[in-house]
Amino acid sequence: MASFRRVMTQRLFNAFLTIVMIMILNFFLFRIMPVDPALLMIPRDPDLDTMRIYEDNLVKFGLDKELHEQFIIYMKMTFTGDWGTSYIYKTPVLEALAGPLAWTALLLGISSLLTFVIGMYLGKVAARRRGKNADLAITGFGLFFYGMPIFWFAIILMLIFAVEIPIFPTGGYVTSGIHPFPLTIDKIFDILMHLVLPVATLVVGAIAGIILIMRNSLVDVLTEDYVTTAYAKGLTEKQVMKSHASPNARLPIVTTIAMDTAFILGGAFQVEWVFGYRGIGWTTIDAIDRSDYPLLQFIFLIGGTAVVAANLFADLALVKLDPRVSIV
Amino acid sequence: MVKLEKVLPKYARKAFSLNPVIADKMGLSARNLGRTADHFLNTWMGKVGIIILAFFLLVIIYSQLFMPYDNNESALPTYAPMSWEHPFGTDARGRDVLTRTAHGTLASLTVGLMAMAISMGMGTLVGLASGYWGGWRDNVIMRINDVFLSIPWLVLMIVISAILGNPSLFTVILVIGVTGWSTTARIIRSQVLSLKERQFVERAKALGAGEWHIMKKHIFPNVVPLVFANAILTIAIAILSESTLSFIGLGPQDVETWGKVLENAYSTGAVTAGQWPFIVMPGLCIVFVVLAFTFIGYAMDEVLNPKLRKR
Repeated sequence: MASFRRVMTQRLFNAFLTIVMIMILNFFLFRIMPVDPALLMIPRDPDLDTMRIYEDNLVKFGLDKELHEQFIIYMKMTFTGDWGTSYIYKTPVLEALAGPLAWTALLLGISSLLTFVIGMYLGKVAARRRGKNADLAITGFGLFFYGMPIFWFAIILMLIFAVEIPIFPTGGYVTSGIHPFPLTIDKIFDILMHLVLPVATLVVGAIAGIILIMRNSLVDVLTEDYVTTAYAKGLTEKQVMKSHASPNARLPIVTTIAMDTAFILGGAFQVEWVFGYRGIGWTTIDAIDRSDYPLLQFIFLIGGTAVVAANLFADLALVKLDPRVSIV
Repeated sequence: MVKLEKVLPKYARKAFSLNPVIADKMGLSARNLGRTADHFLNTWMGKVGIIILAFFLLVIIYSQLFMPYDNNESALPTYAPMSWEHPFGTDARGRDVLTRTAHGTLASLTVGLMAMAISMGMGTLVGLASGYWGGWRDNVIMRINDVFLSIPWLVLMIVISAILGNPSLFTVILVIGVTGWSTTARIIRSQVLSLKERQFVERAKALGAGEWHIMKKHIFPNVVPLVFANAILTIAIAILSESTLSFIGLGPQDVETWGKVLENAYSTGAVTAGQWPFIVMPGLCIVFVVLAFTFIGYAMDEVLNPKLRKR
């Protein structure tokens, strides 16, 4: 177990290093942006002394200092949880993003759960009927949707189910004018109706990867000797699947979930933009349009950290699920 | 079907008939190529992929030479429905949608191919160096790679395009290429790690071969198949990335790709105007091209990776 601890310490250290490097990149990327935030924050009013406000702004944002001083201040502020003030919302970025973060979490939580449950089931069916029609249909379906721009599918779904046949609302997370809190049964129903199309888009967009990986890894496992042995012992197909094949085939999925985090985030951005669902993705694209750099910087940081955390978590989960890994 | 395997060597021999040694060598490699191509075309994925690509090549030729409407001509009626003159209808400024879609083919494929070239070049180079050197240099490179793998690609691309400002075709290609090398680098590196422990590398070292020679003559040729299969899949991803960037308004300003056509359709209200083909067709083009490259990539994998053939 000593070696296990060493491996984990190494991983943790690497993860920490990655996050620090993301922070450094974050600092420099936004310093070379062509727009000057001090200039941007000058109110449009001809009566004001713009030159003085500009200089005040420089001092206020700390832009009058040397670059290395700015960098030290930036690192200090990042670690102490002072992430700056959003230009658009005029509040600390965390406060501005708390709402969108929660809505995105709701959207991604539901869609990821559905993706994995349905994807693993379909993958299993395809692997069991390898080479038969069901397999071809499922893999074909998977490959077709694999190559689909998610935003495009979102528009198509909107066209069909919100414009032509108006069953579902076209956008937003609640009907406009309604405040989601405090929750009532009606409001929960309303929120769920707004979730149907975005969730459907995300599930269809991400499910192909899961199906294909589950299928391929199960096909791999099913040709192993121990599966043949299990059949030879007289176990039924159901028993073999449940206690011999599936547990091993599921392992690559864990790594995939972690690797997919970045991809899933990207998908959420597109879906939120099309449906006007005001989560983190919508806020980001809106922030680009309006050059809200503190907000973008923070999103960059949490996005990267989320992916690093997911990968670290996958490593840990794999050790827990697969005893062979811990020996290494 | 004509067996390429038989035809190719004959032509190769003829072409190099002056020098029998070269002719023989060319014949041999041509035969191998022919065999690989035959095997490739025998897989249904390879066949379908090639057919789809061939179709789009025809579209490119047609759109560049014979298109009846000018891409920017806007004298036509606006939002005309589908008809024989305008099979996909017209857009908000009265331009023919079929013309715009067909013209997008060249731009989209250009982005895919060029971005692929950049990210494969970088990825292969970094993967080779990192895997072969090992030690602290490997460690440093892999930590940088971790950073690129961790940042959500869309966010990174958005930020970089915002920095470059007013993106042109070239900057979009650069952004997609530069953000896409990390996976390739990792795959190549793990292959190199296993290759450099093999006996033939040891033998070359014992004979006094230098680092550069071993990389060039022994390691690189062995990762080429992997690079190749990966490259094809990278084209598909690059085309998708470009369409996404274009859709959120960060696409190339100087040419019109499928992504830009879609963005235009969406932002000029084609959804509410009921202009179905305007939304559907460019998207379908993206789906099919991506599908074609994915198929070819998988088929290539099957051909180059004999282990998979049994299944």
